[in-house]
Amino acid sequence: MPFDQALRFASIWLASTSFIGLTLGAGLPEWLAVLTGAALIVALLRNAGGKSVGRLATHTLMSTTGWNLLVIVGFLGFWVDMLWVSGELLPAGVHFLMILMIIKLFNLKLRRDYLHLYAISLVAILASGSLTTDLWYLPIFLLYLFVGVWTLLLFQLTKHPEEPRILTMSVAMRPQPLAPVSQVTPQFFWLANGLALATFGLTLVIFFTIPRVGAGFYQKGFGENIRTSGFSETVNLGEIGPIKRDPSVVMRVELSDGPPQEAGRLYLRGVAFDQYDGKAWTNRLNYRRAVSEDAVGTFVLRSSRSLATPRLGDTIRQNILLEPLDTPVLFAAPLVERVSGKFPSVQSDLTGSVYLPFPSSSRIEYSVLSRSNPVLPEDLGAEPSVYPESVIRHFLQIPSQPERIAVLAKEITHTQRTIYDKATAIHSFLTHNFRYSLDAPLTEQDQPLEEFLFTRKTGYCEHYATAMVIMLRTIGIPARLVTGFLATEWNEYGNYYVVRQQDAHAWVEVHLPHSGWITMDPTPPSIESIGSGSPAWHALGRMLDTIRLQWGRFFVQYSAADQLAVVRELRAGSTSARNKAFDSISTLFSPFIAMFGGMAGYASKGTIQSLAEVLVPTLIGLAVLLWLGIRRPWSKGMISKRTTRDEQVIMQLYGRMIGHLARKGLAKLAATPPLEFVRLTQERWSNAGSAVASITDLYCRARFGQIPPTREELALAEDHLRNLMTLEKP
Amino acid sequence: MNPTGIIQAIQDNIARVIKGKPQVIEMSLVALLARGHLLLEDVPGVGKTTLAHSLAKSLDCSFKRIQFTSDLLPSDIVGVSIFNRQKQAFEFVPGPIFANIVLADEINRTTPKTQSSLLEAMSEAQISFDNKTYPLNQPFMVIATQNPAEYHGTFPLPESQLDRFLMRLRIGYPSPEEEKKVLDRPQSLHPAEELRPLLATHDVLLLQEQVDRVLMEESITDYLLAIVQRTRQSDLLSLGVSTRGALALSRAAKALSLVRGRTYCLPDDIKELAPIVLSHRIMVARTQGLHQRNFEQAERIIQDLVDSIPVPV
Repeated sequence: MPFDQALRFASIWLASTSFIGLTLGAGLPEWLAVLTGAALIVALLRNAGGKSVGRLATHTLMSTTGWNLLVIVGFLGFWVDMLWVSGELLPAGVHFLMILMIIKLFNLKLRRDYLHLYAISLVAILASGSLTTDLWYLPIFLLYLFVGVWTLLLFQLTKHPEEPRILTMSVAMRPQPLAPVSQVTPQFFWLANGLALATFGLTLVIFFTIPRVGAGFYQKGFGENIRTSGFSETVNLGEIGPIKRDPSVVMRVELSDGPPQEAGRLYLRGVAFDQYDGKAWTNRLNYRRAVSEDAVGTFVLRSSRSLATPRLGDTIRQNILLEPLDTPVLFAAPLVERVSGKFPSVQSDLTGSVYLPFPSSSRIEYSVLSRSNPVLPEDLGAEPSVYPESVIRHFLQIPSQPERIAVLAKEITHTQRTIYDKATAIHSFLTHNFRYSLDAPLTEQDQPLEEFLFTRKTGYCEHYATAMVIMLRTIGIPARLVTGFLATEWNEYGNYYVVRQQDAHAWVEVHLPHSGWITMDPTPPSIESIGSGSPAWHALGRMLDTIRLQWGRFFVQYSAADQLAVVRELRAGSTSARNKAFDSISTLFSPFIAMFGGMAGYASKGTIQSLAEVLVPTLIGLAVLLWLGIRRPWSKGMISKRTTRDEQVIMQLYGRMIGHLARKGLAKLAATPPLEFVRLTQERWSNAGSAVASITDLYCRARFGQIPPTREELALAEDHLRNLMTLEKP
Repeated sequence: MNPTGIIQAIQDNIARVIKGKPQVIEMSLVALLARGHLLLEDVPGVGKTTLAHSLAKSLDCSFKRIQFTSDLLPSDIVGVSIFNRQKQAFEFVPGPIFANIVLADEINRTTPKTQSSLLEAMSEAQISFDNKTYPLNQPFMVIATQNPAEYHGTFPLPESQLDRFLMRLRIGYPSPEEEKKVLDRPQSLHPAEELRPLLATHDVLLLQEQVDRVLMEESITDYLLAIVQRTRQSDLLSLGVSTRGALALSRAAKALSLVRGRTYCLPDDIKELAPIVLSHRIMVARTQGLHQRNFEQAERIIQDLVDSIPVPV
């Protein structure tokens, strides 16, 4: 493919790539997306050789003035769009950008126009990058990078001073086109792709090593928060049901101490409720206090340890990546002890729930240290003892008309002695005698709980949990309803739980006199499998999810803290490598590691001074790069070897002349310089003398004098060559 | 100033005196513009002195001639200190070397001591005398002649001193027609006296500066270096071309380009100049069984050498 055509192709592909990026990212209005897509297809068709299509499109559609008017109209439309229709700068700008792209696509005449198109597509790909944080951006961006390198390479290679079109035609329309070297050869193909790959590698290095200063500009305020239910201050019974079919991911929970122990389930506690009015649960203990922060920025919750006894349960360490939700609740395995994350502050209420001051509009990452609360042996054997007054006040409330329920509860528990045994009895009663179903339209009922217990005997987690709480309270055992998520979907590739909307759950916390609040879940394990399809598909889905998570972590959310983590890992790696007798390698890298380590040490202090100490080496590095770029000490030879297109043309002409003369028996010896060859030719073939002399003169000027020939001279030289070819040698 | 026109005019001017030798005239101009010195080697009576004289006359330059003999002393060239009675001090009286163009006739007839005093002046462009330094005139060009035919009572110049000459030319006998023209000329006056100066001293300096700005493309430099390299490796030669020789060839090529009205060098320039610029800087190996001073032999070897090196395309 000749360079010119390849350039046009590459340019349109570049525009297409950025268009795809924007369409996926910004959700263009359909009419605009269709219009732009059509324009791109027409441009591609025109280039693919449909000359008639091209002429039709350029000449019959509109004059230049018309297009310019259209740009002005589009600009006015942009203001209207920004002020009234979209109401925001970014979407309106994106729409205007697409209109500009369409107009440019129909006006690709001069090289200038191509440059404009590149600028538009660059802005478009940047806009789509700021509008999305999704994984699909990576392939689009890679494609853009490759096509971009191709385009710019071709643009540079086809560069020649922009001449009036007539002259260009006079050379280009000759019977023998002058483009044998201007072809896309396999070497060129690999060169361009290799260059793109190298660019990508360099980008990665820069991305990971240059210190972060802040997040993206548009990261906040974009992307809608996921709507959850069950975590507000009042929750109607049956509210969770409808979302049990929503598979969207709410959070991912990484367990740093390895896979989960108990049957592959992890309770992620959200909010606890104390008041039930027969239809809805309310949290009256919603007074939130700020949680105190310790020296290293970890928030330590002390309230949960007020009942602390020497024998505490196992610790669970979780790293949680929470999608933007409409609730400020921070989910974690029950009995949260420590929370750390990039929050200014964290609050907790009296039931031990943890909150942010307000819902986060972007994905957040935090880690939690929880400690499970086992049942102590004192509670297993002891008679009911006295509860603290505060517990009795809040967690024994029951709605009116609980007679049947109270009777039922007594019936179940009258043989049991201890509180724990009674709770277990109710738990097993509910687990065994009721059917789990999501098709329980109980919300409209006046008495949903009685309906569940006595009539339908069918329900889901909320009903089970509510029933258990109320039954416990009727027999004087403090209990509360807890909502949250029950994580069951373990991703073995990334060692984390995927938690979806459908994992929303409600369970019970029972207060035991010695152990405190312990978790009990009366809901039978759901038999309904999520989704269908083969295990291979599921595995693939989990793998994809892992990649998506890494993308989010290492690219979208990549921050200075992650940088430090990488550096620390490098350091740790270097020590272990040293232990494994890779002495030479680690000595080679140790200055760098030490440098990074030093930077890490400074940056973690977070002082102004440390910022300067990170910035100064960076600036020095950039300055060195800049200096190298300006001086280009390695490219002296390259500059003098650079030839323009016209020089190439005359050199080709000269080569063809030499070849022709050689066929006529006038071979040029390697040691014969050009003018001497002219003399020799004139001696032996005087007719050809003048043509050979004039071509040689132009060639010498271009080759050794670096004076490029003009278009007229080139045309003349070509005439000479053609005459020479018709001459007969005597 | 259009250099091409002026240079052509000077050549025509000299050609009125030296008949049928345009190439020699051109080369002597090249030597002048390249700030070099010229060694003319030929039998007596073919116009060596006349060439030097007419070049000087065409240029509005001062011209001095030194006839070298075996009893010539350095002070005869450089100058002497004479006691001035009025001032009660020694006074330097400049010798004939203080001229723009100096003709050193039969340079191989004088002693090495005198030869070296001249050659020192040629390379340094200044004279040191009595602990004082006197700069020579600019432009400064020495045209030396020597006679290859006789060797009795001569002191051949060593290679190190020959290296100081930019090029060595042979004039050769004119063709019979040209010789006839010479004979037909009125004999009353020395022909060079008729010539009009065409170029001021200052303009010569300007032209010399212009030579420095002639472009030598990298591939041509490589070509030049390939030639030089080959002389050092050749079995036929026991001494190759020095770096000064390479520099001389480069300068001469630039000057030739300017003389021929170009602003850039061509491989042709190098190839044409190589024999006359390089042949006096090499030593033919004794295995060749020839007298090592045979310049014609040296020229032929250089010519063969150049003919075997591919030119840049």
